Amino acid sequence: MSIFDGLKFRRVNSIIHNLDPRIKFIYVIGVFIAALLFLQIIPLVALFLLQLPFVFLARVQRQWMRSLRGAAFLAGFIFFINIVTIFLGNNYTVTPSNIEGALSMTLRFVVLVESFSVFFLTTSPDHLGLALEQSRVPYEFAFAFTTAVRFVPVLAEEAQTIMDAQKARGLELEKGNLLKRIRNYIPILIPLIVSAIRRSLELAEAMESRAWGACKKRTNLYTLRLHKGDYVLLGITAIIVIGAIYAYFYVSIPTL
Amino acid sequence: MALIETRNLTYTYPGISKPSIEDVSIQIEKGEFVLITGPSGCGKTTLCRCFNGLVPHFYQGEIKGDITVAGINTLDHHTYELAKHVGLVFQNPENQLFALSIEKDVAFGLENVGASREAMRQKVDWALHQTGIYDIRDRSPHEISGGQQQRVAIASVLAMEPEIIVLDEPTSFLDPLSAEKIFEVIYKLNKEQGITVVLIEHRLDLTAKYTNHLIVMDQGRVCLEGDPRDILSKEETQRIGVGIPKATLLYQMLKKEGCSLGNRTPLCSEELADQILEALSR
Repeated sequence: MSIFDGLKFRRVNSIIHNLDPRIKFIYVIGVFIAALLFLQIIPLVALFLLQLPFVFLARVQRQWMRSLRGAAFLAGFIFFINIVTIFLGNNYTVTPSNIEGALSMTLRFVVLVESFSVFFLTTSPDHLGLALEQSRVPYEFAFAFTTAVRFVPVLAEEAQTIMDAQKARGLELEKGNLLKRIRNYIPILIPLIVSAIRRSLELAEAMESRAWGACKKRTNLYTLRLHKGDYVLLGITAIIVIGAIYAYFYVSIPTL
Repeated sequence: MALIETRNLTYTYPGISKPSIEDVSIQIEKGEFVLITGPSGCGKTTLCRCFNGLVPHFYQGEIKGDITVAGINTLDHHTYELAKHVGLVFQNPENQLFALSIEKDVAFGLENVGASREAMRQKVDWALHQTGIYDIRDRSPHEISGGQQQRVAIASVLAMEPEIIVLDEPTSFLDPLSAEKIFEVIYKLNKEQGITVVLIEHRLDLTAKYTNHLIVMDQGRVCLEGDPRDILSKEETQRIGVGIPKATLLYQMLKKEGCSLGNRTPLCSEELADQILEALSR
């Protein structure tokens, strides 16, 4: 099932992968704030280019390109809607600055997608769960998150098996109009849900047997500790945010 | 006192009128390798669940009789208290691993009881070495084979250093070769670490040679119990539907035909081969 491929995290060892997910998240938020401050094209292009070193350091170019391609349609849509509303609201004329505004809106979206995709491409779900735990998120939630990630490939495989079994009994998935096609999936969904429930019961049993809930203060095999690289990233984030705020108030940004 | 002792144990699952186990009284001593067998639906799994308190705490239902495990009455102690004494390994390896790396899964129980990081590290590494999966400790559970997954499950209960390990048909999802490896791991733990093993299994061909205490169940009751050599040579055992090891069957056939191969019932092909060779050289 190709749709689930994107959810499979690939273990790569790189400087970016080894950074603390909490700091990476702060960085993403920093870029997010900086991107929201500007509606001019030059600072947004700068923000866009700023992310590229991270992508190359993490060696996730290919997956990163794929996520950008996925966002292309929505980006085009944003640009189109912007132009159309300006065109209609402005007595059917479009000025170059209007185009810049629409382009900036689009670029802002692309920068957001870009930074989030770098975050998710370089953070293992394991790390993310650990970060959740250490950020005082109740353990139950962190556990639910990691377990969900763990069972995505298992359920995908199971869905495939059920599909094959139902097709072997004569179920035709690609037949009929849209509504009929959706209805065709009911005989796939019901066994899948039933088996997922059964699986979850077995899981609960296994958890109970391994002392789930034995003590209030649970310990953890791993801890996240900040390293040199994390402080560097924190510094970079601070520079971006402060620089952006400074530029916003004191620098007149040239427009097209 | 026996490590596991049940007296007239009867249990009924909620919403079912017929009890799943009835009047079960068994004693399991420290260091034994116990094999429980019997046809499907005979109550083996239910009995297992009694050993660590899943029955009746997780399943509710109605329970009568007494059961003590490692000196603890399981009826008024929660499963997590028993988890330190009894490790339970389930049939489907996939559904008992929930972390994203093997190492983390093995540590899960220790994390729950709040062990310190150093102690945890040490016990996890020990458990990984014992089960022979130390080299794959960074992999994710769905990247490894079923046999390896089941070894992870064993390691994860082993890390808690239990006195008893209960395994509920641990190899029914595995091929014969992986199954044999699992049994070897279990046998080693029993022999070298002195851990009491309770194994539920249909494949007596592979397991009979390890056991020194066989329990045969049928329709919720214990029908036969004791030395495997005695029990497997009884006709009643065959009638219940126990899969007698091929070596034992062959021995009986030859005996019926008048071959004298000694009085010791063999449990595996190696033992039978030795007896035949001895008879031939005589």
